Amino acid sequence: MIPTNPLHSQRGASAVQVSLGMAVIAALFAFPQFVESPYVLHMMILFFLSTLMGQSWNIIGGYTGQYSVGHAAYFGTGAYSTMILLTTKEIAPWYGMWVGIAASVVLALIIGSICFRLRGPYFVLASIAVAEIVRGTALNLTDLTKGAEGILLTDMPAFKIGQTVITDFSSKVPYYYIALVLALMIIAVTWLVQNSKLGYYFQAIREDQDAAHSLGINLTFWKNSALVISAAFTSLAGSFYAIFVKFIDPSTVLPLDLSVQIVLISIIGGIGTIFGPVIGSLVLVPLSEALRSNAIAQGLINSGLVSEESGIGIFLKEHLAHAHVLIYGILVVVVILFMPDGVLGYFRKMTAKKKRGEA
Amino acid sequence: MLTIDKLNFSYGDMQVLWNIDLQVNEGEIVTVVGANGAGKSTTLKNISRLVKQTSGSITFQGEELKGLESHQVVERGLVQVPEGRKIFPEMTVLENLRMGSFIKSARPDRETNVERVFSMFPRLKEREKQLGGTMSGGEQQMLAIGRGLMANPKLLLLDEPSLGLSPLFVKIIFEIIQEINKQGVTILLVEQNVFQSLKIANRAYVLETGRVVLSGSGSELLSNDHVKKAFLGM
Repeated sequence: MIPTNPLHSQRGASAVQVSLGMAVIAALFAFPQFVESPYVLHMMILFFLSTLMGQSWNIIGGYTGQYSVGHAAYFGTGAYSTMILLTTKEIAPWYGMWVGIAASVVLALIIGSICFRLRGPYFVLASIAVAEIVRGTALNLTDLTKGAEGILLTDMPAFKIGQTVITDFSSKVPYYYIALVLALMIIAVTWLVQNSKLGYYFQAIREDQDAAHSLGINLTFWKNSALVISAAFTSLAGSFYAIFVKFIDPSTVLPLDLSVQIVLISIIGGIGTIFGPVIGSLVLVPLSEALRSNAIAQGLINSGLVSEESGIGIFLKEHLAHAHVLIYGILVVVVILFMPDGVLGYFRKMTAKKKRGEA
Repeated sequence: MLTIDKLNFSYGDMQVLWNIDLQVNEGEIVTVVGANGAGKSTTLKNISRLVKQTSGSITFQGEELKGLESHQVVERGLVQVPEGRKIFPEMTVLENLRMGSFIKSARPDRETNVERVFSMFPRLKEREKQLGGTMSGGEQQMLAIGRGLMANPKLLLLDEPSLGLSPLFVKIIFEIIQEINKQGVTILLVEQNVFQSLKIANRAYVLETGRVVLSGSGSELLSNDHVKKAFLGM
């Protein structure tokens, strides 16, 4: 048996896992044939988008150990490139996104060459600072970005091959498929990275930079490579977001909150693992939606635990929706305290414990 | 093979190395001994380019190392086994070793080198699939040295390999160092274990507060009064 990768000591998936994965993918592709509710499709799209963002960050943050808290910069760059080209030059987003990727890669190399001189918390702070500079620039470059006013997309061009219209984007379904393909693609890319030599170099840097350096690994080069891959896909997520939501401004595609959210998807799910960001999205997307739509307060009232007329009921109804960021924050603290390896790591530990207990 | 000429180095305003002159000839075991803070590790870091000298020159096989980065000196056959072992804790023993042959010139020899390391350290062979971080200090040190050998070093820099090891492992590690030397690898060893390292060294340098205060053959220094008094407690 010749292993495909000389560094690779069998970490592959079993046949059961592969067929299970195939079944899930097939089900996801068939999903819109059975479910027509735009709301459900919308949630699924957000879930795929979140997976794409979290997984992109995972490559630089999880595998290479460089905690960039400035990924909104790449997301925003992708979103703005696509939107500006589309609204002013009528360049279709499927071309515009490449410009976004190119711009993000250039930005990543600039940021990387500056910030990778720093390590640990200093790198984190520098990455935040650079992203804030990008946000400030977008806010003030009003000729190009319309500043705080934002850019509204009114005419989404139809996607044609030859003369045949494939889709005119009038429903959520085309977005669903695009998002699904993007999410699957980033999972595949992460899998490839993890199982290639590249992944080992990244992990060596994560585990001990000095040791990696002493083995002849060019730290700057490989860290920048990881950042470029990560930035390109984050930019893609931004491009998709722009045409999906059809409105962008600096406070939605470039804020620090967004950078933090991107990080949390991986951290909550399980950092440096392929399924971590998927699990993280599975937890965070419904959670933030439930909090935003006040489903929790409503649920408590409907279940009869809290009466709608009582003081508490009125208070919850009034304020819980506004407090969604606060609750989100508390949950993050809880996860970090009690599940330091993320949800995925927690369950792995539990199953391992159980196995040991039975043995 | 390696020549250090009037090396000066400062951490910021604080000068820690003063006019260090040091020579390593091919095939030798040379050791640098001294107390904590004498500048031993800093000297090594200058050689492996983890830090850059303030003035003076370091040449390896006739080539000036000034201006080279760490990963570039490794490609020239100058490999450091860092202090405190610094293995990759979440990788298996085998993966750690394979990471050692990162550089292009060492890749074709990867599998033969793995075998060579395993025959030198049978203990590592037994623990091939174990995660590096779960091994004992002595085993981790073996792994760190083994990983260093994977890069086909001409000159191996060893930074305090006996640090924090049990007496039994110290003995094993020093035997291994001699064994590696016999296989044709030149060794520059930095140690606090003065007695052991002088015993195996062809030549030795004594550092005190950043200066070379004594140099000579290992046996000469072992019988030197100053060395006896300062380091061996005799």
